[in-house]
Amino acid sequence: MSEFDLELVRLSKTYPGGAVAVREFDLQVKQGEFVSFVGPSGCGKTTTLRMIAGLESVTSGHIKIRGEDVTTVPTEKRPTSTIFQNYAIFPHMTVSQNIEFGLKVRNLATNVIDRKVGEILEKLDLSEVASAKEESLSGGQKQRLALARSLVIEPEILLLDEPLGALDANLRKSIQEELKLLQRSLNITFVFVTHAQSEALSLSDRVVVMNAGAVEQISEPLELYTRPQTPFTARFIGSNLIFPGKLQSTAEGNASVHTSTGQFEGIPVFEAGTLSKGADASVVVPSEFVDVTVSSDRQETSSPIGLEGTLIDIDFVGRDAHLSIALKDETPLRLQSDATVMKSRNLVPGEAVDLRWQTNRATVVSGHT
Amino acid sequence: MYHLNGLRWTLGIFTALFLVFLYGPFVVMTILSFQQGPEGGPQFPIIEWSTFWYQHVLSIAEPSRVAPLPIGEALIRSLTLAFATMVVSTLLGTLSAQAFRQNFKGSGVVFYLIVLGMMVPGVLLGLGMALVADQFDIARTWWGTAFVLHVVYTFPFSFLVMLAIFNRFDKSLEEASWMLGVDPVKTFRKITFPMIFPGVLSSMLFAFTLSYDEFPRTLFTGGSEATMPIAIYGTFAVEIHPNLFAFGVLTTLASFALLTIYGVLMALSVRRAKIQSSGLQEEIA
Repeated sequence: MSEFDLELVRLSKTYPGGAVAVREFDLQVKQGEFVSFVGPSGCGKTTTLRMIAGLESVTSGHIKIRGEDVTTVPTEKRPTSTIFQNYAIFPHMTVSQNIEFGLKVRNLATNVIDRKVGEILEKLDLSEVASAKEESLSGGQKQRLALARSLVIEPEILLLDEPLGALDANLRKSIQEELKLLQRSLNITFVFVTHAQSEALSLSDRVVVMNAGAVEQISEPLELYTRPQTPFTARFIGSNLIFPGKLQSTAEGNASVHTSTGQFEGIPVFEAGTLSKGADASVVVPSEFVDVTVSSDRQETSSPIGLEGTLIDIDFVGRDAHLSIALKDETPLRLQSDATVMKSRNLVPGEAVDLRWQTNRATVVSGHT
Repeated sequence: MYHLNGLRWTLGIFTALFLVFLYGPFVVMTILSFQQGPEGGPQFPIIEWSTFWYQHVLSIAEPSRVAPLPIGEALIRSLTLAFATMVVSTLLGTLSAQAFRQNFKGSGVVFYLIVLGMMVPGVLLGLGMALVADQFDIARTWWGTAFVLHVVYTFPFSFLVMLAIFNRFDKSLEEASWMLGVDPVKTFRKITFPMIFPGVLSSMLFAFTLSYDEFPRTLFTGGSEATMPIAIYGTFAVEIHPNLFAFGVLTTLASFALLTIYGVLMALSVRRAKIQSSGLQEEIA
């Protein structure tokens, strides 16, 4: 018995043509953990999920479930279950038949099957449509049926491949919450694949950010948000200002970086090991920590200015304000900020503005891309 | 607007002509099958309307100078051959289309090799097969050499039908079944097969009808025991009587009856599915 439910050991996948889909993926997932894979399409997140499910062959590396190596075990013999993006409901079977299907091959007594089906129908609010077929189900019902079908066979790990992709925004929100509650109450390990970062950040205990087949960062959602470790993560997650430059010095965990927009001093370093003097580095400032004020309102008591620029445009989208700013050296900048705060600043396009943030909110990552 | 009308007329006339050519021969044949007998021949005008030739085909007419059609055994042979061809061809077609769902090495070449079976002229193939059979001292029979050629001929059709069906088939349904712990064999039986069944039915229909009226391949390889098309052709050599037309009408009607039953069954199953789902919606409401 292993302490981990799921372990990926240098898992790699290369297609016959030579294209690398997944590169040296290492991951350990604890029992009952909710882990998400996020990344742009083609980053290898779905391929990885399919390898865990046994639907895709592994080129090298290992997959272990509860300590047992299942790398070459066929899908039907793995203790995993998958929710597909299109749900893959069997169209020629009713809701109950769909749910029964996986139980019937398990040599269970009829009354046990009936009880289990009844329970899961009840739990996922499908009792009323038990004898319906796929064509008469709503999007939410199909989604719940896919869940019911997968959960009734009591898998050790549930794999979800963008299961909310086909739903409209409102339904998505409510099902997200249901999913999280369900996962907590069942205490099953969930591996969730999505390209929507908000989904991953709000649902997961840990998020794996993937890009071009490789893992960029594995962190808890908040840390991913505030402390990105690579320029890619900084760009992909949240809304960050990124200034590429060269690392000048790291002293006492504080970095000094020279960029084309100016010199940044005293930036906290979290991944010191990957940074070396003179190397390419980028300064990352989460945009919600940036305050924007009109330069002419500047007072003696104001805190030090981060950057100066000109406001090009400001848009209010619900609770968010989208600002477009040109820095002094003409570098364009996009910034997402709190709408209420920005309204109170009386910002007018064309005016000179000051950008401020607390130095310790920024972070430095190695590389430019 | 004028142009559109012109196009409409052209297409309308084209369609009408198509229908005339499609059904014209059958209509003429039907009319002539009611010719007076046994003196009346296969030509207009109709001397007198009668059902004599139908009685003749069914061997209930008064004996006359016109010999009965030699169709009894030939019909049974043809039906048996068509049935066997249908089963084997559909089985092979389904299996090979299944193989083509993944791109395997040389799949392009194999594809064209299979499709070649329906491209090669039947006369040449029949002649070639006859030569090969003689070379190796294999007796030419309708259930042996001819059967093999029938399968060679119909298999590409079955294969293409099944390939089209599999192209639209959602693979994640099979994957969903596997992940529920159902092995591939059972998955094929319980998930794949029910989904591809309409295609299987079409493939069977294709193979059966193609084999049933196959002529050139059978002519060279069928041996001495004739199948239906060969037997009918044989009667041309002597003299054509309207009994042939009566027989043609009867078999065509039989085919239509089969198709109607097939259509009704399909419509019923579709309606049943609809009633089931709408009835359910009422229950909820």
